[in-house]
Amino acid sequence: MTSESKVNGFTRRGFIGLAGAAAASTLLAACSAGGGSSSSGTKPIKFWNMPWGAPTAFPQEDKAIVAAYKPKSGLPAVSYQQIQWANFTQTFTTAVAANTNPSVSSGGGTTAFLFEKEGKIHYADDVINKVWASNGIKDDFLPGLLDTMKTKNGYAAVPYNLDMRLYWYNKQLMDKAGASLPTDWDSFEAACKALKKIGVFGYGTYSGAGAFTGGHTLVAHMINNGGGLFDKDQNVNVVTDQNIQAMEWVLGLVKNGYVDPRSATYTSANAYSQMNAGAFGMIWDGAGTPANVNANVASQLVVGDPLVGPSGQKGALYFPNNIFMFKNSPSIAGSEAFLNYYYQNMKTLWTKKTGIGLPPLKSIAQAAYADDPSATKIIDTWQPISKTWGAPGSNTVFYNVTKVDGTQPMIAFAQSILGGNTTAKDALTTLQKALESA
Amino acid sequence: MTATNAVEGLKRARRGVGVAGRGPATPSPRGRQGRTTLGRSWGTLTAFALPSLILLVLLNLFPVIYAFLQSLQNGTPSTLPWEADFVGLQNYVTVLTSPQFWQAAEFTLVFTIVGVFGSWIVGLGLALLLRTRIPANTVFKVLLLLPWIVPIVVSSTAWNWLVATPQSPLPVLFSWFGLDNVNFLGDPLLAQILVCVFKVWISFPFMMMMMSAALASVDTNVYEAARVDGANSWQTFTGITLPMISRSTYIAWILMTIFCVNDFPTIFLLTQGGPVNATTTLIVLAYQYAFQNLQTGIGTAIAFIMTAVLVLISVVLYRQIKKVNIE
Amino acid sequence: MSQILHADSQAPVTLGRLDSKSGKADISTGQRGKWWRFLLILVVTLLIIAPIIAVVVLSTQPSQSTSSATGFTLANYVFVFTQTDVLLWLQNSIIVALATVIVAVAVAAPAGYVLSRVRNRLVSGYSLILFVIQSLPVVTAVIPLFITFSVLGLTNTLASVAIVYIGSTMSVAIWMMAAYIDSIPISLEEAAWMDGASVFGSFTRIVMRNSLPGILSTAIFSFLLAWNDYLIALIFLQDQSVYTLPKGLETFFQQNATDWGSVMAVAVVMMIPPVIVFAFLNKYFSVGGIGGSLAGR
Repeated sequence: MTSESKVNGFTRRGFIGLAGAAAASTLLAACSAGGGSSSSGTKPIKFWNMPWGAPTAFPQEDKAIVAAYKPKSGLPAVSYQQIQWANFTQTFTTAVAANTNPSVSSGGGTTAFLFEKEGKIHYADDVINKVWASNGIKDDFLPGLLDTMKTKNGYAAVPYNLDMRLYWYNKQLMDKAGASLPTDWDSFEAACKALKKIGVFGYGTYSGAGAFTGGHTLVAHMINNGGGLFDKDQNVNVVTDQNIQAMEWVLGLVKNGYVDPRSATYTSANAYSQMNAGAFGMIWDGAGTPANVNANVASQLVVGDPLVGPSGQKGALYFPNNIFMFKNSPSIAGSEAFLNYYYQNMKTLWTKKTGIGLPPLKSIAQAAYADDPSATKIIDTWQPISKTWGAPGSNTVFYNVTKVDGTQPMIAFAQSILGGNTTAKDALTTLQKALESA
Repeated sequence: MTATNAVEGLKRARRGVGVAGRGPATPSPRGRQGRTTLGRSWGTLTAFALPSLILLVLLNLFPVIYAFLQSLQNGTPSTLPWEADFVGLQNYVTVLTSPQFWQAAEFTLVFTIVGVFGSWIVGLGLALLLRTRIPANTVFKVLLLLPWIVPIVVSSTAWNWLVATPQSPLPVLFSWFGLDNVNFLGDPLLAQILVCVFKVWISFPFMMMMMSAALASVDTNVYEAARVDGANSWQTFTGITLPMISRSTYIAWILMTIFCVNDFPTIFLLTQGGPVNATTTLIVLAYQYAFQNLQTGIGTAIAFIMTAVLVLISVVLYRQIKKVNIE
Repeated sequence: MSQILHADSQAPVTLGRLDSKSGKADISTGQRGKWWRFLLILVVTLLIIAPIIAVVVLSTQPSQSTSSATGFTLANYVFVFTQTDVLLWLQNSIIVALATVIVAVAVAAPAGYVLSRVRNRLVSGYSLILFVIQSLPVVTAVIPLFITFSVLGLTNTLASVAIVYIGSTMSVAIWMMAAYIDSIPISLEEAAWMDGASVFGSFTRIVMRNSLPGILSTAIFSFLLAWNDYLIALIFLQDQSVYTLPKGLETFFQQNATDWGSVMAVAVVMMIPPVIVFAFLNKYFSVGGIGGSLAGR
């Protein structure tokens, strides 16, 4: 803390000195040189975390956890920084290019794999196979979760919190419409039909500025039908029969008026205001939906059952958000020690309900959600059937996923499907071409 | 030289037109300078100009070279320009042959033309209106500048609130007139119109200020003369006012052209280029390639092509201003 | 020239001149025309600032997720002032904006003087460079600039963003200063030179002393540019102690939730300083001034 305010103080004094001076930048450089970066043995290493939860509750708790870290002798302390979602890829790549990146960090779900490809990641194998194998954390991860982080060179990251695409229904509206609870695609459509009769959209979604959920959900339907975006070789392969069938199903919902025609350009705020207005009977979203709508609506929201697709199987998309370590850490031992500390002590982020996604560890899930039927249902019924972006070819995350997660081709694809003025095959072909050139 | 002299001179200068609108009215300053103190003080003058030049070069030279090298490579944003594979002009070929680029170029053109002339017309109209005797004139001047002052993160949110959902004010207003379900952000054409209107809304205060200043420098006597000659108001406006403010107008157009073409946040925050790329401009496309698709080479190539065209247009318009001045 | 602009509000010009502007020669005579115009501008202004009124209203509404009640409340303001670092952000924003303004004016004024007074190929080329630089997109420059600053040890400082803002505002600032200096007759300086003054002397004692409106215009333009930046602060300022308001605003946008009440409240806080600046200085603001100087080259 002291060093931060010192930097600030230097800077301010720099400005005063600057006022009339011509050689502005030289002077400032001289003034703040003391506050510069990198390379002294005892300097704290940097931990960056994204704002995963509620606006104040999450960062406060997270900061407290990091502040309580007491490094063993010889290991560096850790400084905490919260990174903003806006333009975060630019924030990370800029820092890496300038060599001012953190030592330990979370990021977007695919950030680690971008830097893994560039050889800048320190693999987590030692932490997982030595430290966590002996202290029980390794076995505490939800089934299959650790493997999603595995690349051919090692674990690029460790799972930190889970987000997934599933649907919530508004009990009150469903009752009012006399709709029965969906179990497969046909019954979902039937429920939509019933909801339409009372002027409510059955298929709530959003794909406007800053919203990627609409595209995620479409991929979730593909996976539900045994399809997905990537083949076994981790190459893009989207024009498949399963995908076409899935998209035709959504296009049918759009044509029948079960989807709000504005969904393609709704932001998350727009979609939640539609929930509050009672305009959406069901919504495809993440695990945290009730926290974003008003209390009345939240009390009516229930997690739906996974749907059985035409292929006879269940499936959905989930995002193992993760924490990773950079190679250029001033102290690799320090990074690993901190990572271990963090996983041993992060439980309160969930038990104190800070709004972060679902926990990666079974023990935390039990401690935090014993009294929460929705979260329990998500962990028990949705997580096991969910796959990563790698589906159907694999159930891992890898570099090529960075091309589909929140990128323009996916957004344009989602907007074209939700807009309804296309055929499934055309839209998928366009997507295939855009992703190939990307 | 005394203070009184200075004040007299300044009064003359302000009455005469040296500042904003009219070039040739003050020929005196520049004519005689060469062989005076000024001519011999090139050291001082260099020292005057140098800090700005150093600052601009320092801040721009390295980024330009860096970005240009990136445009010749197959890198990601985090690879340094001396780390990635060199691909020559391949990125430029890719860009120029991609339909996406041309679609974005087309909308950039529309966006810029509407942005420049829309904000100019609104700004000039309001500047003319605000010159007249109106109660609480100054209050309106400040209020009308608000769109320019409000942070773009906020105003884009406010505009989204205005149009996005069926319960938003504008769709409700339209449904009163029998136009139900107007989908401002979802319909490609309406989204394009909305983005352009949003840009005009943000930019007109700047134009209003420029045009107010230019109008203020027009000599009132000219209008009297025109009235004596029997010109009506429209004739006076097109025949006298417009030519008199033509130089300021050109400058305003050039600056606004630059502001429009380089405007990333306006579009990115309101529509993110959607629906289905309908409102993607070149700068947004460059950003998407560089920082979403992580194809920095293509992103920077787009930016360079765009900048080259922009510089070309600026230089042409710049020469135009010089011409206006000479006439 | 801004004196003339200013004169409008205090000493109204003749109606003859008004008529030729408004295009309504016969209606606008007398009080009635005045009130019609008042009504017109009132309606137009209300339409234009409707989105801003919405922001102010939304900032006084209870937050959606915690209650479904509606009605006026200052809870959002109480929250941002007591629970967040909004005062620190405000302070940082003001420091950055003022530093930008001071340095921009200090560097642009002498450069504008050169642009206004000297006429040769060199200056002409300099003028063109200003033009070209103004055209460069900032989006692609962010990473190299960040690298430069990190080599200088300036990352995560207010200085780094201020320097970028100074650079971004420089071209327009120089043009504005040059334009204003155009209106100061060189004969005043020539008299001083006869008395043995140097160019530096005449610049400081005659030109600068008489350039307050020009300086203020340049200052306000630079202030707004620094105040409203979106991209640079977001990438450059990662340390919480150096957040500016736009960066601070982003902290309310979380993974699954946005605290709109706080966003709107901070937005209103962010609007206030520029509005105050404008209210007091608007009569001096004359961007149009740049016209004169450019054309001279």
